[in-house]
Amino acid sequence: MELLSDQGLRLDGRRPEELRNIRCKLGVFSQADGSAYLEQGNTKVLATVYGPHQPRGQSRNKAPHDQVFVNCQYSMAVFSTGERKRRPRGDRKSQEMSIHLRQALVAAIRTELYPRSQLDIFVEVLQADGGNYCACVNAATLALVDAGVGMREYAVACSASLANGEVALVDVSHLEESSGGSNLTVATLPVSGQVALMEMSQRFHSDHLPKVLERAIEGCKDIHQILDGAVRKHVEETGRASGWGQVDRAGIAL
Amino acid sequence: MPSDNRRIQGPEVSSPYCLFQSGNKNVDVHSGRSEVLSSRKDSRKFMEHRKIYLKTGVVSQAKGSAYVEFDNTKVICSVFDPREIPNRIEYSQHGELFCVFKFAPFSCLTRRAHQQDAQEKELSLCLKRALEPAVCRHEFPNFQVDIYVMVLENDGGSLAAAITCAGLALADAHVPMYDLVTAASLGVTGDKLLMDPVEEEESLCQNPNKENQNHGLITVALMGAHTQVTQMWQTGSMTAACVSDALTHLVQICEETYPIAQRCLVKSVVDTISKKAQ
Amino acid sequence: MAGVLLSEAEKTFILHGVQSDLRNDGRSRQDYRPIELELDIVTHANGSARVRLANTDVLVGVKTEIDVPKPEKPEEGKVEFFVDCSANATPVFEGKGGEELATEISNFLASSFASSMSFDLKTLCIIKGVQCWKLYVDILILECGGNLFDAVSLAVKAALHNTMVPRVETVAMDGGNVDLQLSGDPYDCWRLDTKNMPCLVTLSKIGEHFIVDSTAEEEECSMASLVFSVTDGGRLNSLCKTSVGSLHPHTLAEALKVGVDVGVRLNKALDQALAREDRRLEADKPERFGFLK
Repeated sequence: MELLSDQGLRLDGRRPEELRNIRCKLGVFSQADGSAYLEQGNTKVLATVYGPHQPRGQSRNKAPHDQVFVNCQYSMAVFSTGERKRRPRGDRKSQEMSIHLRQALVAAIRTELYPRSQLDIFVEVLQADGGNYCACVNAATLALVDAGVGMREYAVACSASLANGEVALVDVSHLEESSGGSNLTVATLPVSGQVALMEMSQRFHSDHLPKVLERAIEGCKDIHQILDGAVRKHVEETGRASGWGQVDRAGIAL
Repeated sequence: MPSDNRRIQGPEVSSPYCLFQSGNKNVDVHSGRSEVLSSRKDSRKFMEHRKIYLKTGVVSQAKGSAYVEFDNTKVICSVFDPREIPNRIEYSQHGELFCVFKFAPFSCLTRRAHQQDAQEKELSLCLKRALEPAVCRHEFPNFQVDIYVMVLENDGGSLAAAITCAGLALADAHVPMYDLVTAASLGVTGDKLLMDPVEEEESLCQNPNKENQNHGLITVALMGAHTQVTQMWQTGSMTAACVSDALTHLVQICEETYPIAQRCLVKSVVDTISKKAQ
Repeated sequence: MAGVLLSEAEKTFILHGVQSDLRNDGRSRQDYRPIELELDIVTHANGSARVRLANTDVLVGVKTEIDVPKPEKPEEGKVEFFVDCSANATPVFEGKGGEELATEISNFLASSFASSMSFDLKTLCIIKGVQCWKLYVDILILECGGNLFDAVSLAVKAALHNTMVPRVETVAMDGGNVDLQLSGDPYDCWRLDTKNMPCLVTLSKIGEHFIVDSTAEEEECSMASLVFSVTDGGRLNSLCKTSVGSLHPHTLAEALKVGVDVGVRLNKALDQALAREDRRLEADKPERFGFLK
C-alpha cells in the first residue's frame, strides 16, 4: 500500500506535515487529583493523576529521599483494538510502555519539589488507532497540569514516518504503521527543544534520520501549542465564577 | 488465568462421554420437557429435606473440621488457626475470613479442573458472606481465619451443605461466634417448589419449560437463635411473590436443621470430656 | 471508593437523615442521582455505552466473535462478561488490585443473564453444533462513587441494546470445515432483543430503612446491602446479599418488594432513554460527545 499518493496525500487524506485532529478536556473525573481526556484522530486516551501522596506498598522502599517517586501504569481497554485484547495490562508490551511513559514524564516533572512522596499516573487507552504512546504522554501531561504538579515544561510526544523513501510523515496512524512503514516516536520538552525519549521501529537509511526527526520535533511543537491553548482555556473557564464545577446533563429523571 | 504447571492435565480437547449417551438426561432437560412434575424421583414430599448426617472433628490436622452429608451430597470442611493477614500493611480493626470453596474433580457429572474456576470463586464469596455475620470478628483483629470447603460428591444443594459444614467447623475450631449458621436450598419450576433439590432437579430448575415460567434456585443461610438471614442467593427468573414464599419455607427448614447441628456439637463436647476423664 | 473516612458523628448524621427520608444531598430514600447515558462511543466495538451516575463512570464495549458452541449446548451461543477495574478509579486497583471486585461483578452479571428468558442464547446460534456467535461484554470501571452494580448493569443493558451483530450471508461446508461469509455491508446487522434483560438494583440498609443508589459515604454507614437483578416485567433474575451483615426474614421480604418496585421503574426509565438515544443516533451525522462534555 502506498503511504503517499501521487497527489501528495496520505491514506487518510492528510498532507505529510498535517497532524490528526486533536481534542482534549481537562478535569474529567472529580475523585482523582488530576485527570484529562485526549483524542488524537481516532486514538482516545484517558489519564489520571493521584498524588503526591505517601508512598504505598512496595514503593516505600523504592522512594528516593530527595525526589518524588513516579509510578506509571499503561493499560489498554480490552475493546480498544480491532481484535479483542485478552488482558488489559500486565503483559510485556504494557510494562514496556509504562517504563517509557515514566521516562518521558520524569524529564518534565520537577521531581525535587516532592521528596519522599509518590506520584501515580494511570493511563487508559480507550481506542487504539496508532500513536498510542504519543497520545498517552500528551494526556498525562494535561492530567499533571490539572493536578497542579510542578513541571518544568510540557512533555509532548509525536511520531513520524518515512514514505516512499523520501518524504517524512508526521503523526502516524495505525493503518500507516501496519502497512510496514517505519515509526520514529519522540518525546520532547518543546520550548527548550530537549528530547526525553526517542524510539524507532522498522528501518530506514541513516541519511533520512535528520529530516524525520525534525518532522517529529516540529509535530511536537505544534501539539504543544494546541495543548497549551486547551490548558489556558480550561483555566479561564474554571477561574470564572460562573464556571465553577461541572454542570451535569440530567439524562434520566426518576 | 494462571496455568497449572504442577499437574499433568488430561488432553485439553476432551468431552465427557455422557454427552454421547442415548437417553442422556442432560439432553432431555434442554429439549424442554413439558410434563408437569407430579412427584419426585426419590419419593420425597415436595417440602421434605433430605436426611442430614453431621460429624465434627474429622480432620486431625485442622484446628476444627466438619463433615456433612445431605444423602448423596458430601461436603468436608477444615478451619485453621487465625494467622496474620498476608499482604496487608495497614492494621484492620476486624478479623477476616478467607474462604475457599472447591468441587473435587470427581465430584460432579463432568470433571472439574483442579484450579478454582469462576463459579467456585462466586460460591466462595457467597460462603464468606454467609459466615461473616456469625463470627465475632472483633475478637481477632488483624488476623484471618482460613476456611477450606471441599465438595466430595455433588448431588444438589452443595452450597447449603457447605455453609452448614463450615458453620460447624468454625464452632469446632473454637472460633468465637454469635450463633450457628445453617443453610438450605430450594428449586422452583413452574408453580412447584422443590425443597433441597438433587442435581437432576437443579438442572431442571435452571431452564424454563414453558414461556414465562418461574424457575430457579434459592439458597438461604440462617442464624437460628437470632433468626437472622445471613445470606440469600437466587438465580433463575421468578416473581417477587414466589421468592417471598420460598423464603418462608427455607427459613422454616433452616430452623429445623438448627437443633440437629446443635446436638452434633454437644455430642462432640460430651465425647471430648468423657475421653479426658478416662 | 477512593478512601472514604467517616467519623461517628457523620455516620449518626446520615442515619438520622435517612430516618427522616432526607439524605445528605437532599434526595429521598428512593431517588437516584442524575444519570448520563451515551451510546456508540467506541467505534471499534460492535456496541458500546457509557453511563455516568454522578461520580461513578462505567464504559462498556461489546465485541462479537465466531466460536464453536459448547458440546452440551449445541444450539446456543455464548456470552462472556469481563470486568476491568481501571486504576483510574483508585490507586488500589493498580495491577491486580481490583481483581476481587471484578470477579464479583462479572459473576453476578453472568448469573443475572443466565436465564434463557432474559437472554435467549439460541438467537446467537449460526449452525447447530458447529458455529455460533460469542459476545464479549467488556466492562471498564473508570471511577467509583458508590453504587457500582447499578451503573454497570445500566451500561451493560445499554451496550447490548446498541450491539449490531453482523449478518451471515453464505455458508460453505467443505467436509468438516465451515467457511462463513459475513455480509459486506457494515450496516447490514441485526440487533439483540434486550426487552427482558435485567437491571441491577442495590438496596442498602441504614437504620430501619432501605435506600437506593447509595453514595460512597452512605455505603460506609450501611449494615447490610442486597443486590437485586430485576427485569422489565418485575421478575427477579438474581439476588445476593453483598455485605457483612444479616437481616431478619421480615426485613428481607420488605426489601424484596422495594427492590422489585425500584427495578421496574429503573428499567422503564432506561428504556425511554435508550429510545431517545436511538432517535438521536439515527440522524445523519450525530454529534459524539464521549468524554468531551
